[in-house]
Amino acid sequence: MIVFQNVSLVYPNGVHALTNVDLTVSRGEFIFLVGSTGQGKSTLLKCVYREVSPTTGDVSVDGRLLSGMPRGQIPMLRRKVGVVFQDFRLLHQKTVWENVAYALQVTGAGSRDVLRRVPRMLDLVGIAHKSKMFPHELSGGEQQRTAIARSLVNNPLILLCDEPTGNLDPETSGEIMALLARINAKGTTVVVATHNQAIVDRMRRRVVRLVNGRIAHDEEQGRYHVGLG
Amino acid sequence: MDWGKVRFFWAEVAQNFTRNLTMAVTAIGTVAIAIVLLGVFLFLRQSFDLAIATVAGQISVRAYLKDSTPQAQIDSMMQALRTDPRVASVRFIDKKHAMADLRRQMRGQMNLDVINVNPLPDTIEIIPRDPYDAPAIASGVELKPIVAKVNDGGNVTNELLKVDAVFSAAGLAIVAMLILATVLLIYNTIRLTVFARQREIHIMQLVGATRWTVRWPFVFEGILSGAIGAVFGLIVLSIAYRTLVPKIELNLPFLPLKLESVPAGHLAFELLLVGTVVGMLASLVSVGRYLRTT
Repeated sequence: MIVFQNVSLVYPNGVHALTNVDLTVSRGEFIFLVGSTGQGKSTLLKCVYREVSPTTGDVSVDGRLLSGMPRGQIPMLRRKVGVVFQDFRLLHQKTVWENVAYALQVTGAGSRDVLRRVPRMLDLVGIAHKSKMFPHELSGGEQQRTAIARSLVNNPLILLCDEPTGNLDPETSGEIMALLARINAKGTTVVVATHNQAIVDRMRRRVVRLVNGRIAHDEEQGRYHVGLG
Repeated sequence: MDWGKVRFFWAEVAQNFTRNLTMAVTAIGTVAIAIVLLGVFLFLRQSFDLAIATVAGQISVRAYLKDSTPQAQIDSMMQALRTDPRVASVRFIDKKHAMADLRRQMRGQMNLDVINVNPLPDTIEIIPRDPYDAPAIASGVELKPIVAKVNDGGNVTNELLKVDAVFSAAGLAIVAMLILATVLLIYNTIRLTVFARQREIHIMQLVGATRWTVRWPFVFEGILSGAIGAVFGLIVLSIAYRTLVPKIELNLPFLPLKLESVPAGHLAFELLLVGTVVGMLASLVSVGRYLRTT
């Protein structure tokens, strides 16, 4: 589903964000990208949704090579890839319902489609009862559920989560991870960048550790720290 | 038609407008001022052109004939001139009529009764189809043996052309500067709106909106700014036209401006088009530049 082949990325300011990364994520897989801040986790995710392009090497998503992909085709790629951030990135002047509907409306979905898919998605993430509320009226967990609903409403093949529990308490973090696991169980490939050790250790999924932009460790049913298994 | 999509689109446009209301009003005001100035200029320009056309239409070539030229030779020359495709009409003015005309014109200004001799020659008056052909026709006529002297009215034509050229160049420069100022202001307004909506734009791009989906609401904002500004400008121009034109024509009748004859409706349509296109282009460039950097 996602393939990195010898990918290196150097930002214009000279920072080496990724170095010789080789990584394959299969369809329907759930993986954690771990590592402390600044190790290249977010950059790796950005390569998948073509926010940045590698300096060398190739990234392909669902069989499509992203290097050299014309700008006009990037929107089609992004409809296959949902993205969730630590700071939720919701639109404050829109309600929960409108925030989720927005993702459909800007991709040209008809109003019937919007009316059918939004409630379904709000049900899935367990926030249907707050659909008329604005983001500032919600808890952090509820805001993150809204963001997840928005990223899933276009039925992406892949869900990328960049520190999805970074702003949440442990209990809410657990709920969000359980939700991501349910989404994964329905067939969506999920990649979570995190440094939440408790969650990684509890879920025992594939763990890829990045150190200085290189893959230092890649383990099925892994733990946050290597060698504690 | 999916009204839900239409509603969503216009809600986006309205949101752009209201997000930066002060700047939107400023842009509309600038377009209105530019349209008023442009309208006044174009209006004067067209009326001046009409005046020139009228004056030029009155230009004639006068061939003053030698004394005692036989009538047969005069008739033969007139016949030849009538077959010239550049000539609209030919008229013979004998010296008696010329003197009578002169007496009539000078009545009250100069007493010509003291002149006993008629110094005026017989004249052939030639009206060219195109006034700018007058010098060429005159130089042809001058060669005829029965012609003593020719007046081609060329000085008037040349002076008018010079005034017209200066007027056009200065006017074009002013119009260009006005349009540039308007473009820059709408460009900046849209840019501010784009920056105010960076978050939405980023989310739109993340969920897979095409570049045109992102662009359209901003382009429409520019079109609306331009069109609304142009409408305000046209309202001001229309009021000015109704109140000022009759007064100018009444109080300054010697000005050769054909104000009433200018096709005002056509001019208004052109100005509306200019405002709208300027707004559209400015916003296209503005949002296009932003999207290229993201």
